[in-house]
Amino acid sequence: MATRILTSHAGSLPRPQSLIELNAQRDRLDGSIDDDYERALAQSVTDVVARQRDAGVDLVNDGEFGHSMRREYDFGMWLTYVFARLGGVELAEFGMRQATLTHRAPAGEITLAPFGARRDWTRFSEAYGDPQAGVALPEGEMFQHTPIIRGPVTYTGHDALALDIADMKAALEAAGLQDGFLNSVGPASCARLPDEHYASEEEALYACADAMREEYKAIVDAGLMLQIDDPVIADNWDQIVPEPSVEAYIRFTRPRIEALNHAIAGLPPERIRFHLCWGSWHGPHSTDIPMADIVELMLEVNAGTYSFEAANARHEHEWTIWQDIKLPDGKVIMPGVVSHATNVIEHPELVAQRIERFARAVGPERVIAGTDCGLGGRVHPQIAWAKLEALSEGAALASTRV
Amino acid sequence: MPGSSERILTTHVGSLPRPPALIAANARRAGGEPGEEDAYREQLASAVAEVVARQKETGIDLVNDGEFGHAMASAYDYGPWWTYAWSRLDGLEMVEAPLWSAQPPPPRTGTASGEVTLATFAERRDWNLFSETYGDPGSGASLPAVENRRPLPMCRGPIVYRGHDLLARDIANVKAALAGAGLEEGFVNALAPASARFGNEFYDSDEEMLYACADALREEYKAIIDAGLILQLDDPAIAENWDQIVPEPSVEAYQRFTRVRIEALNHAIAGLPPERIRFHLCWGSWHGPHVTDIPMADIVELMLEVNAGAYSFEAANVRHEHEWRVWRDVKLPEGKVLLPGVVSHATNVIEHPELVADRIVRYAEIVGRENVVASTDCGLGGRVHPQIAWAKLDALSRGAAIATKRLWG
Repeated sequence: MATRILTSHAGSLPRPQSLIELNAQRDRLDGSIDDDYERALAQSVTDVVARQRDAGVDLVNDGEFGHSMRREYDFGMWLTYVFARLGGVELAEFGMRQATLTHRAPAGEITLAPFGARRDWTRFSEAYGDPQAGVALPEGEMFQHTPIIRGPVTYTGHDALALDIADMKAALEAAGLQDGFLNSVGPASCARLPDEHYASEEEALYACADAMREEYKAIVDAGLMLQIDDPVIADNWDQIVPEPSVEAYIRFTRPRIEALNHAIAGLPPERIRFHLCWGSWHGPHSTDIPMADIVELMLEVNAGTYSFEAANARHEHEWTIWQDIKLPDGKVIMPGVVSHATNVIEHPELVAQRIERFARAVGPERVIAGTDCGLGGRVHPQIAWAKLEALSEGAALASTRV
Repeated sequence: MPGSSERILTTHVGSLPRPPALIAANARRAGGEPGEEDAYREQLASAVAEVVARQKETGIDLVNDGEFGHAMASAYDYGPWWTYAWSRLDGLEMVEAPLWSAQPPPPRTGTASGEVTLATFAERRDWNLFSETYGDPGSGASLPAVENRRPLPMCRGPIVYRGHDLLARDIANVKAALAGAGLEEGFVNALAPASARFGNEFYDSDEEMLYACADALREEYKAIIDAGLILQLDDPAIAENWDQIVPEPSVEAYQRFTRVRIEALNHAIAGLPPERIRFHLCWGSWHGPHVTDIPMADIVELMLEVNAGAYSFEAANVRHEHEWRVWRDVKLPEGKVLLPGVVSHATNVIEHPELVADRIVRYAEIVGRENVVASTDCGLGGRVHPQIAWAKLDALSRGAAIATKRLWG
């Protein structure tokens, strides 16, 4: 039983420059691994686990280093890593902005617009289009070649996954730590691709669920915690044009939660954390759906821990909803108390104030202090680590008070 | 500048996004291109009229000219709050010493006796702790290019105010714009003496230069107030000098160092009505980590020594958001008003109006609802994209309306 507030983070951590360079040399979809790369990756994971421990992070991961990042700033690795691990997915001749999603919605129901039609992006198109505004997404590969489903989706990532698991376990042992987590993408996030193969969105969704289940199960079977990253549960909202009713959105989203629960059926919830966010780009986020509208849906996921954004200026006020929501027995929340959305390092006292609010609402033993999203690729490495240190100092302060 | 006994009023710190055409005209003028002075003045006056009207439409109660009279010649520029004054003061010469290449000043005086002195901008402690970040254009923390190219002022003669004509122009523009928008009150920003951190090759001591600046700038302060406008004194140096003293001094030494600067300011505004003066303090508006910012608790009493009626300060960014608690221990003198920042330039995310309301209510519950005016951390113009600046002002005004409901029922 923890007698203090534990700390963790959402996943991505800054990759060492040497690893970024090695990744840049590897083929996009082939994902081939040679001995040099394997050694460099293992060493980097060992280092990043030790550094998390030293920064005061209790629940550590591999920084998602196995999800290969090819440049210093890249917001997409949480998703793009998986394309090399799935049969049936190819890189298209066109980019994500040009991609139209192919499934039609049943009459009266809603469907996703193209990424480029997002409502916040349209409303603030000048800001998003201005490289100096600090809003624009780094132009990752998906802007040139979007992944596209062109055959049956199957899991083919066993080797890469086995390597990630082995690296993580070795790094934990070297650091003298018992437990750690690995990130994996949720079926609904995985299935949000143009699709030229399946007849319906639901078919594609369940094909992704069945394929991804292999990754989920392997991580849990290896004795590691599984974090499922599923931002689309929240950020699809902004990609539906015009703005739908909340009821229609919940009908649209519930099958995605059901597919996820199908994918993790039989796996122990207490070994699963679910991560929800509104998209990690540094934009205005004026059209984010309120947490109050989706929190009950989120709690339908058969996970033990729920990670979500609560530190940025669009969602910081939402702690109050936890005064009214009944958090089911045995569940834990992991609100973001530091954020990638500002370069300013959160003052540890602010971190403590944020933690205390959640602790008063749901009980201190049911709060893990987390980050809004992964910090790697989204802020400068120096800032990422300074934020993790502020997180752990703030958690220590809060622990003395709650 | 009283608050309201009926609702939470709104304002902002000063800088607003300039229209692209005005920036282009400023750039041509800065480049020495001859232009039609009359045409420029017309363009400026009409831009001020528009920005005042837009503030009113956005729900800002206490408006200004967006500092449009403080010429900005590129879309991103953090400096016009003080660069505008250079051409309004005699005694300055521009030297090629951009921020980064500035050499450390001649021997630091007095360090042996425990007194402190300013290092160069490039020696700032936060900037050195995070030098890789500040040096990485992809990080969003580096300064706009214009800041690194700009020559800096060196004092080489007596400092005398000579900006009467430009100031009269700015005052006339705001007054016309207020009348056009049907508004009674507006404010004009002016540089405070301590933040006129010029190189000094003329005066015997920095203190002598400080008082020369105070006497010169007093003309600007007095003219603004005499014109019936509210004066805002921009004095970030009171807080952010801390990071530019190397190594970190004791708080006591810093307070001694800073009190001199507050006294010079009070000298400059002596006899002017405090209720027509607002004082703005901040920790530097660059998008950096700010880990070495001095805590508000260590300078709040000093800030309150300024003979102003209202105090504007950063309270919305994540380095200072927690400091609302400071006001539990500090007695806000009778008749004074707080203008805490409740939206910030430090993130592109638009503050949710509910968050804005939460922040306002925290202050109101401590110092009284009639003593809080909702504001921004720093000026938004030149620091975030124009669309984001206006969306933040909109969130500010919506949040103030929510806070009003909560506080007045």
